[in-house]
Amino acid sequence: MADRAHSLAVSDRMFTRHGTGLFLLGALALALVLLGPLFLDRFTQNVLTRSMIYAMMAITVDLLWGYTGILTFGQSAFFGAGAYATALILTHIGGGMQNFALALALSVILPMVLAALVGWLSFYHKSTPLYASVISLVVPIVLTQAIFAGGSFTGSSSGLVGYPVMKLGAANYFRLAGVALILFAALSWIIVRSDAGRVLVAIRDNPLRAAYLGIRTQKVQILLMTVLGGIAGLCGFLYANAGRIVAPEIAGFGFGTQMIVWTALGGRASIFGPALGAIGIDYLGAQLSGSMPYVWQLIIGVLFVAMILFVPRGLVGLLPRRKHSGAAPALVALPDQRQESGRDALLTVSGLRKAYGNFVVLDGIDLKVRPGELISVVGPNGAGKTTLLRCLSDGTETIEGNITVVDKDIAGRPPEDIVALGIGRKFQVASVFESMTVAECLRLARTTHERPSLWHRASTIELPSAALEILALTGLNKKLGEPVSGLSHGMRQSLELAMVVAMQPRLILLDEPTAGLTKAERTLIGEVLKRLTQNLGYAAILIEHDIDFVKEISQRLVVLHQGRLVMDGSVEEVVNSELVRSIYSGMAHD
Amino acid sequence: MTDNRLTIEALTSGYGETDILQGVALTLCRGEILALMGRNGMGKTTLLKTVMGLIQTRAGRIMLDGSPVDGKPPAWLLAHGVGYAPQELPLFQDLSIRDNLRLALRHDRDLAKALQNVGRSFPFLLERLEQLAGTLSGGEQKMLILARALMNEPDLLLIDEISEGIQPSVVQRIATALKTERERRGISILVVEQNLDFALSVADRWAVMKLGQIVDEGACNAESRETVLKHLSI
Amino acid sequence: MALLLDITTTAALLFIVSAGLFVIFGVLKIINFAHAAWLTIGAYTTVVATRMGFSPWLSLPLAVFVGGLLGAATEIAIVRPLYRRSLDAILATWGLGVVIVQIITLTFGRDMQMPPALITGTVDVLGMPYSSYRLFLLVAAVIMGLAFVLVLERTRLGLNAQAVIMNETLARALGINTSQVRLVTFMLGSAIAALAGVLLTPLSSVDPTMGISWLIGAFMLVMVSGTSVAALALACLCFGAAQVLVSTWISPILGSVTVAVLCAVVLRLHPKGFARG
Repeated sequence: MADRAHSLAVSDRMFTRHGTGLFLLGALALALVLLGPLFLDRFTQNVLTRSMIYAMMAITVDLLWGYTGILTFGQSAFFGAGAYATALILTHIGGGMQNFALALALSVILPMVLAALVGWLSFYHKSTPLYASVISLVVPIVLTQAIFAGGSFTGSSSGLVGYPVMKLGAANYFRLAGVALILFAALSWIIVRSDAGRVLVAIRDNPLRAAYLGIRTQKVQILLMTVLGGIAGLCGFLYANAGRIVAPEIAGFGFGTQMIVWTALGGRASIFGPALGAIGIDYLGAQLSGSMPYVWQLIIGVLFVAMILFVPRGLVGLLPRRKHSGAAPALVALPDQRQESGRDALLTVSGLRKAYGNFVVLDGIDLKVRPGELISVVGPNGAGKTTLLRCLSDGTETIEGNITVVDKDIAGRPPEDIVALGIGRKFQVASVFESMTVAECLRLARTTHERPSLWHRASTIELPSAALEILALTGLNKKLGEPVSGLSHGMRQSLELAMVVAMQPRLILLDEPTAGLTKAERTLIGEVLKRLTQNLGYAAILIEHDIDFVKEISQRLVVLHQGRLVMDGSVEEVVNSELVRSIYSGMAHD
Repeated sequence: MTDNRLTIEALTSGYGETDILQGVALTLCRGEILALMGRNGMGKTTLLKTVMGLIQTRAGRIMLDGSPVDGKPPAWLLAHGVGYAPQELPLFQDLSIRDNLRLALRHDRDLAKALQNVGRSFPFLLERLEQLAGTLSGGEQKMLILARALMNEPDLLLIDEISEGIQPSVVQRIATALKTERERRGISILVVEQNLDFALSVADRWAVMKLGQIVDEGACNAESRETVLKHLSI
Repeated sequence: MALLLDITTTAALLFIVSAGLFVIFGVLKIINFAHAAWLTIGAYTTVVATRMGFSPWLSLPLAVFVGGLLGAATEIAIVRPLYRRSLDAILATWGLGVVIVQIITLTFGRDMQMPPALITGTVDVLGMPYSSYRLFLLVAAVIMGLAFVLVLERTRLGLNAQAVIMNETLARALGINTSQVRLVTFMLGSAIAALAGVLLTPLSSVDPTMGISWLIGAFMLVMVSGTSVAALALACLCFGAAQVLVSTWISPILGSVTVAVLCAVVLRLHPKGFARG
């Protein structure tokens, strides 16, 4: 009950802030589309109905490309599939309420199935954004050819026309399309501003970091593509009914790229830009293309190139940018949670060997890490330290030997699965989300613990106290609302460290966590790491060059040299060993 | 005209937000070999890259023979007597020894003569010109990197951790080659190293770098080893 | 036998059409979507040359010249600023393609053009008449492939290009003027694409949008082949064969998407494509 009241209060606040203005804007838009038919002639109504359907398509492209970073040329395929599903049913089975319902259902389901398939093809571990774009090009082409091949069933190149449609009249189609557009835009606007919307942007900004936070990036991408495929199909249904004609071009890649033009010109990663871009260009196009079709296309083409070159954020980018508004969420400390501290090994590495072609980076590595241990890995450049961490955190690396985390072999598991086993990794070069604020980054680190809301942004972020300490040490807790892009190098380092600790992993892998920090900051971070391991039972593997720092905080030292683990012992033993001295003076060679 | 072939004054540079070098000052005289030591991550490689024009100078100056050269592209420096043996991904693994060496030259017409020159120190390269660089052993690759840096007969040579990960016998050959080259043509060499014994065996002077600054320097003598080791080791 | 000839000549055609895109992708690592427009421009140089009363053969050097010039302008004005935004470079070159197509439409109209063919008639191959032009294409493709290999392996430009392909940072550290290599490569790629446009004229309809239908196939072949000429040749042969077989035995319409679909599947199963094993 208290929770509900709380979230209501949050949404209230959201509405009062920039809500009122947008609410009024929405109401005005609604009034316009409802009353519009009273002032507009029939031709204009028809054109604008189509433009508004296109605007919805532009928003789907924007959600995929602008927000999530998936450049797709293929939204037209799902649109076409929905439109053709509708037209085929109405042509071959006939009109009537029941068939309209059937057409509606199929026009959503069919594209969703298709989109899920395309998503599965496009997104897999280590797939590239370029590959996804390639697939998105192929799909509409295949679909268009299938329509051509369908002969009289699909109407081939001349399409389908003259099938029974829902008899709403031009004015009501206009209103229907308008209301649908406003609802979809509002819904999209709410979602991209919610915590879940941040997950999309996280995948766009830094898919690797997102995966290492345990976010199942490929699953999110496939899901998004499927849902938006369904929306595109729905648009197709509307289009087939309102326009009374379907032609192969609407499923083609030319139309798919047109949507990208609208989105780019209007302004990617803003819901309203692409919608207005689509309406503006399509409407003007309809007015002008009668008199000068090619010149119009030419102007759009030139504008598009200029926009990509000089104003990548589109027309919206020309507007003054609103400041990061809104108070940052409050941080709430989670009670200290001691990790279960069995004496059994958390991580066991046996006989690990990693080679790139003929070049052997790691060979014969055996290592056990128990809960509560802090192990430092030292060794000269090129000894294989970072490679070791990579092998521990990504089971898809090809290796020989075995790595088990709590008795589970990690072979074949992608990073997000290994995060689920309880391993968190901090990269050597701080890897955070460039376009976000400090608070947003921290919230993302908690994604696997708290399902992010689709509707709002939570007003608090719960973090383990160790993460809070790290933030406080470097003053990041006072910069929660500030964008990461403005942070210093040291602050990024500690932000990433806080993010990793916030995931509450059992084993933390740290690749030079203190590089770029001041001496004082190093000492403080060291204290936090000590407390995490000694008092709270976390385990940690640390790569570090600052040997004083290492001596200060670790119980065990592991020495890597030329890909081999040459020593594993207490700090005293290792520091005083002749072998280690000779490695550092350069004489040790086998 | 000064006696300093290379002068670095209060040099600051780095990547992204970070300044890796924080006011480095260093000089290298004509005909001198200077060993720059330091553990990894201290900025030694960044220093060489900055001198080579691969990273932009943010503050301070780099001078060759007393005239400022910062902002000049690598091609200009190579054409003005600087040779560079980089550490990271230093060879085209899928090209032959000949092509790797060829790429160091502006024009192919100088190839035969240059090959003869580097062949003096590393004759095996001439015998196996068509072999792919990727199939060479680690030590042979290092010698190829050095040979390539010598192709244009530079009078200032910048060498980045050439001894890393190779056998003592090869380290010895490289040391000999460097000394020979200096005696023959009186060139200046800056060796960036972690291998203390190799570095001190070739150099006249040493300097130690820590966190982007030169923290100590001196002439190579009997005490050098202990002094530098204190800076380097655990 | 006819089938075998069809397969090899189709592969040759695919190779010719993809070559320009391949060169640019190899060195610059960007997909030049204006490729379709270069093909179209090439074809229209034939139209212009023959209208002015010249032999269609003259359009070959003319196309190379025009393509190279436009390529240089494009590299400097559009591609270079987008060097670090590769997906945006795809979009910008696509936009450029749209612009060029519209300019051609405005100048020549959207009707199909029928320039005279370079070679007409048939020759007997083992007692069977076969289009001499398709055989000529086979020869052209082989010459082009050999020229590629020769330039890459034997010339300084080829060596520099290889260096840039393999490791651009190192190439720069060795004093290679990488931006010059990129410019020359883009010019060459555009010139080759325009040349391919000329060679297409007798087989394809010549209209302002003719390039588009070739673009996707070429694009997919290049994606599959990566940076190896041999891989490109092999891919053209395999997928060309598949296309001919599907067209002959199943349906010509499905045949036209065979290359794209097969390439997509190959890339999904084996992300490196034909480039390595």
